[in-house]
Amino acid sequence: MFLLDAPLTGRRQVAHEMFVLSIRAPEIAASVRAGQFANLGWSGGPLLRRPFSIYRSEGEHIEVVLKAVGVGTAQLLAMEVGDRISCLGPLGQGFDFSRGAKEVVLISGGLGVAPMPLAAREARAAGMQVTWVHGARTATELCAESAGDRVIWVTDDGSRGAKGTAVSAAPEADLILACGPNRMLAAVAERWPEAQVAVETYMGCGTGVCLGCAVPLRRGGFDRACKEGPVYRAADIDWRVLPAHLSYAATA
Amino acid sequence: MSVAIGDLRLRSPVLAASGTFGYGTEVPLLERRALGAMVSKGIFLRAREGTAPPRIAETPSGMLNAIGLQGPGAEALVRDYAPQWSEWDFPVLVNINGESAAEYGELAARLDGVPGIAGFEINISCPNVEQGGLYFGNDPRAAAAVTEAVRKRTRLPVWVKLTPMVSDIGVIARAVESAGADALCAVNTFVGMSFDLNAYKPRLSFRTGGLSGPAIRPLAVHLAHQAARAVQIPVIGIGGITRTDDALEFLVAGCAAVQVGTATFVNPNAIAEVHDGITAFLGARGFTSLADLPRYLPRD
Repeated sequence: MFLLDAPLTGRRQVAHEMFVLSIRAPEIAASVRAGQFANLGWSGGPLLRRPFSIYRSEGEHIEVVLKAVGVGTAQLLAMEVGDRISCLGPLGQGFDFSRGAKEVVLISGGLGVAPMPLAAREARAAGMQVTWVHGARTATELCAESAGDRVIWVTDDGSRGAKGTAVSAAPEADLILACGPNRMLAAVAERWPEAQVAVETYMGCGTGVCLGCAVPLRRGGFDRACKEGPVYRAADIDWRVLPAHLSYAATA
Repeated sequence: MSVAIGDLRLRSPVLAASGTFGYGTEVPLLERRALGAMVSKGIFLRAREGTAPPRIAETPSGMLNAIGLQGPGAEALVRDYAPQWSEWDFPVLVNINGESAAEYGELAARLDGVPGIAGFEINISCPNVEQGGLYFGNDPRAAAAVTEAVRKRTRLPVWVKLTPMVSDIGVIARAVESAGADALCAVNTFVGMSFDLNAYKPRLSFRTGGLSGPAIRPLAVHLAHQAARAVQIPVIGIGGITRTDDALEFLVAGCAAVQVGTATFVNPNAIAEVHDGITAFLGARGFTSLADLPRYLPRD
């Protein structure tokens, strides 16, 4: 884990209101695994850091993908190249590719693209065939970037690719990885209890101390999305207790 | 820059606040030389699961939390953490909780004498189950009863963490001082609430939560000052300290030391930065020790 004062090095738009930020954070870029995240803070920002899955890492740079959902993300998107971002990471446990699958299906909904480019890269490095089922509500909300051997585009309204949900459009595979709204992940858990899912929670510290990012477990009790997670075996989560979606305050 | 809190000598006046430093094994990257002491995450005699999410909500310059004192219970604390603490070069105090005065006493007795445990911080912001859920910390008799129950079961330092949710903190401060507290910690979080305007419900599943962070600092400085004026024992200031000047305000207001809490979530090195800042301030002003820092404590 590293704490870096890192410069913003670039921004590009990948969908309606969805952007990728590049940050020069060499130590994090060199050590991050797919599914892990960084907790970002900046001068003049809100009190708490904001957690983001690492979208890609290339050389000395990491990338994160975001939309302006609250005051913090709006400030991040208003930053200029060269502005400093305090990056704490990599944090959490990433996806597990060690079980010898031959093919993997990545299922993303909306901003759930966040861990997928790294997941595709690691899966291919582990010798897997990668299919990415890439879903969003509409074509304009669908992240334009993809990776893997095959991409299945899906939209709720059929404006691009198949009409329906990413979960219903996904083929069977030895290994299923998913990220998206918790409601979508609950549907993944119904169909593939063994899937690995990256959940979204409110988060305080990101390092396992505050116990704010509690994830309810089927066997009882809670653990921490930032430490034991954010990737879980789908069947391990008590989806009735995990908040179905997060609601961001406009002022914080 | 050492400081004495009763019989306990600390190498630094900057301490880690309960609930923001876990059991001391989690916070990464902190330069521990700066740490005067650590107060552990609050613990009950028995393990507790904690509350359902959402447990935290950010508010302007602050955060609400309702973790529900999730913890492993006394036996696991003794088995898993105390042995590590006994190797560390700073003291660890355990933040203790209970549903009755007797339970606090029982917990103190179980932990007393365990190597690695240097003292206790009593969290009196718990509901008293035997008295219909009224908070110990709101009632001078209940607060004193808890303090006495713990005092009788240990010779280790006993600190009492005061709740700000009272009409006169001086009354509670004097009550627990008389009951044998060695020091006071002022203050715990303020009870607050925030609403989700999409769901038309509270943002926390527990409905209310404890407010911490810079938002509470002037309120906390005031209460710590009032407590310090009310008693002879040391007061340790807590509430929204994120940088050096914040800590110095508590010290000038009459506190002997400070605890840094929520700031550690944001900046894992906050404690070291505050510590170094105080040292630099004292040097720049020509003070040779923390005791030379002027304290504003009119005794009227």
